[in-house]
Amino acid sequence: MLQLLVGQTLNGVIVGTLYGIIALGVTLTFGITGIVNFALGEFMMIGAYVTWYLFDVAGLPYPVAIFPAIAIAAGCGFAADQLLFRFTRNNLINGLLVSIGLISIIEAAALLLWTTTPKDMGYVLSGAFRVGAVSVPKMKIVVFALLAAIMFLTYAALSRTWIGRAAYAFSQNPEAAMLMGVRTEMLQSAVVVYSTALAGFGGALYASLYSLEPAMGGLYILKGVEAAILGGIGSLVGSLAGGIILGVTEAVGSIYLPSAFRDAYGLVFVVAILLYRPGGLFGTER
Amino acid sequence: MKALFWIPFFIFPILVQSNFILTIFIFSFILAIAAVSFNLIFGFTGQLSMFHAAAFGIAAYITSLAVSMFHVSFWVGLLPAICCTILISLVIGSICFKFKLKAFYFAVVTLAFSELARLVILNWNSVTNGTLGLMVLDKPFVWLPAAGLVKIDGAMGWYFFSLAALIFTVALCSLVLRSWIGRCFAAIRLNEDLAQTLGIDIFRYKLLSFTLANALAAIAGSLYAFYTGYIEPNYLGINQSLDIISMVLLGGRSSIIGPIAGAFVLTGLPHVIDLSGETRAIFYGLVLILTILVLPQGIIGTLASWRRA
Repeated sequence: MLQLLVGQTLNGVIVGTLYGIIALGVTLTFGITGIVNFALGEFMMIGAYVTWYLFDVAGLPYPVAIFPAIAIAAGCGFAADQLLFRFTRNNLINGLLVSIGLISIIEAAALLLWTTTPKDMGYVLSGAFRVGAVSVPKMKIVVFALLAAIMFLTYAALSRTWIGRAAYAFSQNPEAAMLMGVRTEMLQSAVVVYSTALAGFGGALYASLYSLEPAMGGLYILKGVEAAILGGIGSLVGSLAGGIILGVTEAVGSIYLPSAFRDAYGLVFVVAILLYRPGGLFGTER
Repeated sequence: MKALFWIPFFIFPILVQSNFILTIFIFSFILAIAAVSFNLIFGFTGQLSMFHAAAFGIAAYITSLAVSMFHVSFWVGLLPAICCTILISLVIGSICFKFKLKAFYFAVVTLAFSELARLVILNWNSVTNGTLGLMVLDKPFVWLPAAGLVKIDGAMGWYFFSLAALIFTVALCSLVLRSWIGRCFAAIRLNEDLAQTLGIDIFRYKLLSFTLANALAAIAGSLYAFYTGYIEPNYLGINQSLDIISMVLLGGRSSIIGPIAGAFVLTGLPHVIDLSGETRAIFYGLVLILTILVLPQGIIGTLASWRRA
């Protein structure tokens, strides 16, 4: 029993970091452009499918396949930003609706291209670490390490570099930041594109662990937004923590309760946190 | 003047006997009920509720389950459906508005509740038959003068039945919106803080708007279930909400008849140009995006501003 519990907790942490990377994208986009990009999950799906195609069909090695996947996801993100999101800055409802419209377009296009049949990638890295009676596949450790590293780098970049300070300045007071020489248009576009690149990276790693379906994007963005709200929108640490809390709850919860309730935990969390601590666990009071 | 608007709809089926076109009209009428009522909370009160499809679906399930389990008529089944929807709306609305959730947060919390409702229906296999959905074999009866009890069956019967329901919805909405209640809704939409300062109980009016919209969506849902003869958990899905939002935005959220125009275009066009499921989804997505970016006032709103210019 304990073995199952520990195993499920570890699984939850891995899935949770995937939620966390989407949550990070949600938080960054919201802080800088004032909209919630619900289509981020679709960019994750694009990254995942491109990785699958390059690795399984074209036969590239996995580390090489990741980069074009990120590039294509970011390229789509750039196109979406210039064509659509540029016109919905700071208009929450319009941004929400435009990104929801984008979800149905990308998801339907993916259905046309790849059908509903789940795609499974071959093993990238086989073998598992064993600690006592618990075994964890090596690939899951690698995925966790890479995701944690990229989030740490994002955090470092935001707190240590000029760009990060410009972003913080912008989120506090756009006009003042503009007067101080921050190129706000470019900053906003860069953040939207960076968040889609993060999602593409998450998707590329996702592809190495789980099977792909066109509907995965819709599921992951919901979890990502839940994680972001749970951790507190605007907090980078919160998005990772929110993702992991959500992932672990789902994994551990499905031991005790039917797995049908899996998708319900996040919803309950969101309702509870918005009612009792709207700033989120790690955020400031709204 | 307003009544004259409906006359073409009564003459139309006599001129056009085609079942195909009548079917499109019936679907448009029923979805227009959902869209018009959604506009009550979204367009007139300014709150983006994502619970509308859930109210639609919950009522569809309750009505058909009541009819199939207790062998009562459609009308007796509709009653508990509306009552339950009102009750659920009161609870969810009270929670959301008591805690002053606005804009995005209101949308997210109502979306969460709506997904929870979908999960319950999806997994309550013994009652709702899960993903497979349920067949609805009964048809409603209405009493007509000179004809007695008439079973609503066939395209012509459903055409007038759904048209009547739509007229009822529009009449109710315009009655509400023309009264002081409608003024309060508009005040809340334009400036919530100011509305409160003026002594408007924003909690009560938001709750009223939310509940009324959902109760009318319940009627649309029940009609939809009995017309198509089939219900499934996807009725409560995000896509259903998205369709309704698209209709309202395309038609224009500033008028009552706007959403009707939107419902007609979005229901009719995919049938007329015969699209598959996937291309249909792309079409809906494009319409939603283009409407927001190019035609923010919607069809009716744009036409009205042209006429004024």
